[in-house]
Amino acid sequence: MTALNIAYGSPRRLSRLTGTLSAGGRIGLLVLIVLLLLSAAAPLVCHHSSRETSGPPLAPPNAAHWMGTDDLGVDIWAQVCFGARISLLVGIGTALLAGLGGALAGILAGYCGGWVDRILMRLIDILLVLPDLPVMIVLAAFFGPSVWTVIGVLSAFSWVFTARIVRARVLSLKQRRFIQAAETYGAGPLYLMRRHFLPEIFPLVAVGMIRLAGRAIVAEAGLSFLGLGDPTSRSWGFILHHALSFPGIYYTAFWKWWLLFPWLALTLVVLSLALIGKDFENIADPRMRSH
Amino acid sequence: MTRQRTRRLLEYLFTVWIIVTLNFALPRVMPGDPFLYLSTDQGQEIARFSEAQQDYYRRQYGLDRPLAQQYAAYLAALAAGDLGYSIYYNQGVTAILLQRLPWTLLLVTAAVALSALAGCLLGSMSAAFRGRALDRWLYPAMIAVSEIPAFLLGLLLLFTLAAGWQLFPLSGAMTHFAVYASLWDRLADIARHAALPVLTLAIVRTGGIYLLARSSMAAVLARDYLRTARAKGLHPLHILVRHTLRNAMLPIVTRIFLSLGGLVGGAILVENVFAYPGLGRLMREAVLVHDYPMIQGIFLLVTLTVLTANYLADRIYGRLDPRIRENAAEAR
Repeated sequence: MTALNIAYGSPRRLSRLTGTLSAGGRIGLLVLIVLLLLSAAAPLVCHHSSRETSGPPLAPPNAAHWMGTDDLGVDIWAQVCFGARISLLVGIGTALLAGLGGALAGILAGYCGGWVDRILMRLIDILLVLPDLPVMIVLAAFFGPSVWTVIGVLSAFSWVFTARIVRARVLSLKQRRFIQAAETYGAGPLYLMRRHFLPEIFPLVAVGMIRLAGRAIVAEAGLSFLGLGDPTSRSWGFILHHALSFPGIYYTAFWKWWLLFPWLALTLVVLSLALIGKDFENIADPRMRSH
Repeated sequence: MTRQRTRRLLEYLFTVWIIVTLNFALPRVMPGDPFLYLSTDQGQEIARFSEAQQDYYRRQYGLDRPLAQQYAAYLAALAAGDLGYSIYYNQGVTAILLQRLPWTLLLVTAAVALSALAGCLLGSMSAAFRGRALDRWLYPAMIAVSEIPAFLLGLLLLFTLAAGWQLFPLSGAMTHFAVYASLWDRLADIARHAALPVLTLAIVRTGGIYLLARSSMAAVLARDYLRTARAKGLHPLHILVRHTLRNAMLPIVTRIFLSLGGLVGGAILVENVFAYPGLGRLMREAVLVHDYPMIQGIFLLVTLTVLTANYLADRIYGRLDPRIRENAAEAR
């Protein structure tokens, strides 16, 4: 229920939430907030352009370029800051789209039952057994590489996780006494949804969305890393791809800044999201704590 | 029971049909046209095919016929095991796939075996010493490890162990132009090249199996029948093998089959990190050059393999332990 309170988030409630987070969850939240601020204030915190040459090529970290420069002399700190925008956009976009879509599908399947449920469940079964990355590679190539198609493809594949959990919860809720009591008192579907289903479902969806965001960021990085992402958006995965395409990368020390910093950024985000997700799972469903 | 099993099988066949049809449809609506440019190599003048040549090639590959006819021809060829002719590699797709498949299989099987072994071992130790120092350190470490994406870990290993300390070769599956004195030298070379990709995939998967093994072992260890077994004075090894492991392994075995889909995704990326000549690297190359038949072939092979593994997992569930049939759908 605590997770629910963020939705109506007053500062006091937010502080109560951070109180319930574990140390790992707090560090994760801190890292994410710092990254969000950095990406939002990217033009302010970066003195150099993220696209244009601003120094000597392949300079190691120094006072002017404190993360060094790449083979074209482009500042890496600026690339990492602006790259954060892409990664976070993909993560948040996919989480919202797939989380809300999945919740809607789950509610529909669980509440309506019948043929709606059967069709949705078949669809979910099919999507679940398909290995996602090969399909994503093919689809991303097919839709043409752009950030929005990456978000679309990722959402099309990941809504199933939320949908399944939500459907199961709705089904079990429908059997509960208080719902049946409300129905006998003449509560309509909309009232039931607003007062009884949504408050119960929201924590589940919130947990699911954090997981989805992590998966999406990793998937986008993977696609870009393969060179199949959006070439105009310099995401972290694209920086890795660009660095690895440099012929001498393995035989020189350039990787110590060119690869290391985008790598660190990606790893930090993924781990932070995982830590927060774990905590939210415990809050939303204390039974999972035993694992 | 039998009816349910037939229904499951029909569902899987339906999924196969969808994949086969998707496979037919997708490359035909992909942007780009393999017959447009003769050469777009870097630094070279871009050379275009003439109209007549384009028409000739379209006819040659049957791309000028109506879609329904193309579809029928595609299904017929597929049934005969013919995946078409690669436009870019100038060779039959099936032949190329058979050439590359062993490398991917080597990586995947070695990684599955290693991670299952390590995960079960560590998980059992953690469960046995639950709450002690070992468990307290291992558990969060394994959670962190299980969350790191395979290709990021691969990059780390590549640049520290291979590029930095030069303990392992940087890329490929064998040394180029090497002449081997014996079969052992050859195998050693292959093992040295496969070591890092296998290690990457194995480490990433160990985390998940560890977590499952730990909770599964802990659940079994708390059971009354183990106390009974001890009270009867059975040999500890006998208790461990016959009473504990046998029960705790059930969910792990099925998980290994079920997570094959994720492993395939990881393998594709990791192969590209290490320039390992398996299916994943082939797939990337094929997508970059718009080699339609090649993409179709790999996509089909990979998805059908994963589907088969999932189907087997479904069947094994019921076989191994009737109790978990209910949870089977939720476990994933």
